[in-house]
Amino acid sequence: MNATREILAEVDRLPAFPSTAVRLAGLLRDERAGAPEVEKVIRPDPSLSANLLRFANSAYFSPRSRPETVRQAVTLLGVKRTFEVAASAAMAGLIPPRLPGYDVDARTFWLHCVAAAVLSERLAKLSGSRSPDLLFTAGLLHDVGKLAIATFVFREASSILARTREGTDFASAEREVLGMDHAEVGARVAAAWKLPAPVVWAARWHHRPTEAPPDVDRTLVDLVHAADALAISLGLGCDAGEMAWPVDAGVWQRLGLHERGIERVASESLDAIRELAATLDGTRERGR
Amino acid sequence: MSQVTVEISDLRVSGNPEDVIITYALGSCIAVIVHDPVRKVGGMIHYMLPLSEISPEKAKDRPAMFADTGIPELFRTMYGLGCDKKDLVVKVTGGGALYDDKGLFNIGKRNYTVLRKMFWKAGVIIAAEDVGGAKSRTARLWVGDGRCTVACQGTEVEL
Repeated sequence: MNATREILAEVDRLPAFPSTAVRLAGLLRDERAGAPEVEKVIRPDPSLSANLLRFANSAYFSPRSRPETVRQAVTLLGVKRTFEVAASAAMAGLIPPRLPGYDVDARTFWLHCVAAAVLSERLAKLSGSRSPDLLFTAGLLHDVGKLAIATFVFREASSILARTREGTDFASAEREVLGMDHAEVGARVAAAWKLPAPVVWAARWHHRPTEAPPDVDRTLVDLVHAADALAISLGLGCDAGEMAWPVDAGVWQRLGLHERGIERVASESLDAIRELAATLDGTRERGR
Repeated sequence: MSQVTVEISDLRVSGNPEDVIITYALGSCIAVIVHDPVRKVGGMIHYMLPLSEISPEKAKDRPAMFADTGIPELFRTMYGLGCDKKDLVVKVTGGGALYDDKGLFNIGKRNYTVLRKMFWKAGVIIAAEDVGGAKSRTARLWVGDGRCTVACQGTEVEL
């Protein structure tokens, strides 16, 4: 079996995305669904109920309120935000202790996920454009393909790293050696998990935003690409790729961002990222 | 031996010769590593951004986030432990860059430029440096003998 077929078989072998989160994703498509319907899905899941309350009480998700019940949390967060929190909790429980090939432990990988999610939203605010739907989740899950491709990257690490040291970016090196990169794999994982389209788009195009087809939300893909680059640059969840990742030449212009603003976002996001990563760290560890 | 870890936007000093000061995943951030061989005192900052003017409030709360507020704070803290400027051995590492064709995103380069200007004005000489490239470095300083290493891309070398 060649590497690509083996990788695709690995996508099928990944644990399923928790059913409560998938059902919440279904409610997103139902315009009539409100807090009572969302509560009905969450209440039978005690672990999600507990996590929802913990996140709903974080400074990032609700800086001014302290909801005490699931109903209050759902009312406060709204249907979309509740899904984003549920997806975060679900993802936190799916990360293995180590990702071979990328040479990171779960905590470091998770820090990068959270950093990309928070920075995506902060850069969207800075750019002044509308904030795309489910941007937080799209940022959080952008590297989900690494869960399925990691063991194959590990197997071919010397060939991949030899290429990056000669100037090839890590994702291109993955493609050259394995026939596909973690972004292509990520889109397949997100689709297999029945996650909403923005999550699939960000996973697929976060390293090559300009190649996204016209039906994809380009602003969303640009924001996740920029946030990923900023997180890597700041050392928030660095992996074996180190800094061998490309930055699209036009992304800052398309988003209308300048270096001072980007640096301000970095300075003002560090504490929020650390706090949220620590909240979710607890979830991750309890989820085992 | 105990390990003293310097987080992003943090600085640490130690007068314990048994300590090793370490910082991880420098990326575009820069570590300034200072050692006083006479008094066996070491210090390290892991700063994230060049200039505090973008966020003066944050700089008050966390001076080590920026080169222009953090580096003077590192030297002041060393002086507070009895160090003398003329004895200090100063090394620099980090300042890496992504593959960014237009360079708009080069925080590492700006971090380094500001540092060079500050050191030039203050008459500080850099004894050794390893900066730039698509690397994310881990830096270590042994407080007892001032030995310093930089690890990246699977290898660790003396600085």
